[in-house]
Amino acid sequence: MFLILGAILAAYALLAPLTSLDAAQSANVPLLADRLWFRIATIIAMFIVMATAWNIIGGITGYAAFGNVAFFGIGAYTTGMLIAKAKWPFLVALPFAPLVSAGFAALVGLPLLRLRGHYFAVASLGVGVAVGELVQNIDYGGQPLFGGASGLFLPIYAIDNRGLFFFYLMVAAATIAIAVTWWVLRSRFGYGLIAIRENEEAAAVLGVNTTVYKVAAFALSAALTGLAGGIFSQWNVFINQDNTFPIDYNVQMILMALLGGTGTVFGPAVGAVLLQLLIQFLGGSLPISFDIPFVSADARPILAQVILGVLLVGVVIFVPRGVIDFFGGRSRLSLSYLRRSLRETSL
Amino acid sequence: MTVRKLALLAAAAVAAVACGGGTSTGQTTITLGAPLGLTGSLTKESTLTQQGYNLWLDWINARGGIVVNGVKHPVVIKYYDDTSNANQSAVLMQKLITEDKAQFLLGPYGSAATATDAAIAEQNQIPMVEANGAAQSIFNQGYKYTFGVLSPANKYLEGVIDMAATLSPKPTTIAMLSADDNFSIEVADAINSYAPTKGMRVVLYKKYKNGATNLSAEVQAAKAVNADIVLNSGHLQEAIAINKAAKEQKLNAKIFAYSVGPSTPDFIAALGNDANYVYDGSQWTPQVKYTPAFYLTVSDYVAAYKAKYPGLGDPDYHVAESTAACLALQRAIENAGSLDPKKVRDALAALDVTVFFGQIKFDSRGINIYKPMVVEQIQAGVHHTVFPADVADAQAKYPTPAWDQR
Repeated sequence: MFLILGAILAAYALLAPLTSLDAAQSANVPLLADRLWFRIATIIAMFIVMATAWNIIGGITGYAAFGNVAFFGIGAYTTGMLIAKAKWPFLVALPFAPLVSAGFAALVGLPLLRLRGHYFAVASLGVGVAVGELVQNIDYGGQPLFGGASGLFLPIYAIDNRGLFFFYLMVAAATIAIAVTWWVLRSRFGYGLIAIRENEEAAAVLGVNTTVYKVAAFALSAALTGLAGGIFSQWNVFINQDNTFPIDYNVQMILMALLGGTGTVFGPAVGAVLLQLLIQFLGGSLPISFDIPFVSADARPILAQVILGVLLVGVVIFVPRGVIDFFGGRSRLSLSYLRRSLRETSL
Repeated sequence: MTVRKLALLAAAAVAAVACGGGTSTGQTTITLGAPLGLTGSLTKESTLTQQGYNLWLDWINARGGIVVNGVKHPVVIKYYDDTSNANQSAVLMQKLITEDKAQFLLGPYGSAATATDAAIAEQNQIPMVEANGAAQSIFNQGYKYTFGVLSPANKYLEGVIDMAATLSPKPTTIAMLSADDNFSIEVADAINSYAPTKGMRVVLYKKYKNGATNLSAEVQAAKAVNADIVLNSGHLQEAIAINKAAKEQKLNAKIFAYSVGPSTPDFIAALGNDANYVYDGSQWTPQVKYTPAFYLTVSDYVAAYKAKYPGLGDPDYHVAESTAACLALQRAIENAGSLDPKKVRDALAALDVTVFFGQIKFDSRGINIYKPMVVEQIQAGVHHTVFPADVADAQAKYPTPAWDQR
């Protein structure tokens, strides 16, 4: 636990120069004083929001939602439409992203959350894909309602230090997501969700209104994911089906939560930082040059996919409780830890 | 390994990241940057784009570089693989600007990546000359730093309609099969509104999922309406799938024309004799006749391509338009007499020059509406330019014979 706190403090120390771009430049801090790092840091913060939000439904409630990217896209398109078509100012449009996402989640959650296990996972994946297709293909009066295949262009947000602004906004969203998780885990609501995860029938018998609790958890998860989408749309300026409903985000947010530790407050955030840094490193966007033996530079992005796949398998088998548990607890990488992990994940 | 050691390692890694970046390039070198989909779904087209950039790079550096106020500056192009992912393209574009200190940008492949990267170029106020994003929506945003040397998407199949209007017996009905990506939809929609002005009707307009490989249902629908012209607004693999399905289902139209695909050697390689008679709208063909103000003539360009990339046949239009983007940038830098991004931007806006690719001149939005599209047809396994007449090297073979009479 102290280690995690230490890591967070260290991250803050590194991020502190961000408070002023000029100050950072005069202090000659190359790491964070430029737009590339703002962009990467903003992406990391965005994934902290998504992984933490997934944790509420997937980790705490135990419902393996595979379609959360739908809420990211809905949030992005809500804000995008309000800005591009209705000409609303960004900060007025932004609150509607979590609202619409949560509303949609409640609507589809009612029938969907009656399913369990694999059935829920597959159905939610279907929703994730279907919403993206609908957004691209719905026409109204012969015109694509949501910009169609051409996507939506938003005006570039006029503010000084734009990169810094969106970084802070995304960090604020990440803070909200973590704070909400912290609150959930200490509330009666959270105990109900955990009860549902451990044994839904028993929870119902004990008086937990499982339907209301599950739908609320799903909507909460969707609201936070939608908030990230809303910020993304104005930050990225251009949104279309490809960049707001990417299937690989689904896998990544779940992998991040698993890697860091599902059901915990900080686990998904730690997983998001680690995994996104790895993805950016393998994708060649970090300012470090490196050579991987036997792998040509051209094949590196493919290697990234392979590594992610292997990591997913490895995490699920060997550290099912995530790195937070692994490093924070008293456990060590020992035979008994692996044996216990394997016992937990096998049926 | 203890937890403490791991923590130390992690700290060391962070420190390594902190100190890794930021080596400055030589003062006289001009650095250009381009993220390209060298892996992923757009590998083929992205590789052609890179070939076009590199052809110019060799040529300019053989001359010592771009001349700015009498001083020669050698050129470096820094590439990154965006894995055909527009979000990654944006990150890499920013890396090119920030870490690699790219002074000017060349475009990625595809309209989606170009749209995302155009916003990055705009926010960093670095000129980007692109050759592979033809969707007009990119140029309707009022961006000042993005310039496209290619004819916009709406022109892609209009040439086929213009040509069809000159043929006899004149075809009158059109079946349009279109992929659902932004570029393809723009091409298809343009035909919807353009065909009636030439006395033709679109009797079927069917969209399919971008990248679909089984299009027999769409071809069945086109056969049912018995259209004179079958148009496809899509991509190479889809064009091949449609042509195969048309043969299987004996769909006999007078004209088969596909927006993208037939111009690449892969189309003929995949279909053999079945590729004959197919038309496509093309940004450029190796047969066009333009008189260049500088750089190579059309025939020298084709020869230079074959010398550098032997065994790949003639350069297709992706290669040529990518080279043309470099030429536009080069001439703008020379005209500006400066490496200042704003001055080069102004020089791009004022540019008007004809090269082997055709006229390069940008309208106020930054797209080249002045260069015409040409129509080519595959005749006996060879590409021929058939329209417009002043650049054509062959007559259109019309109408296309029925499948059982070939």
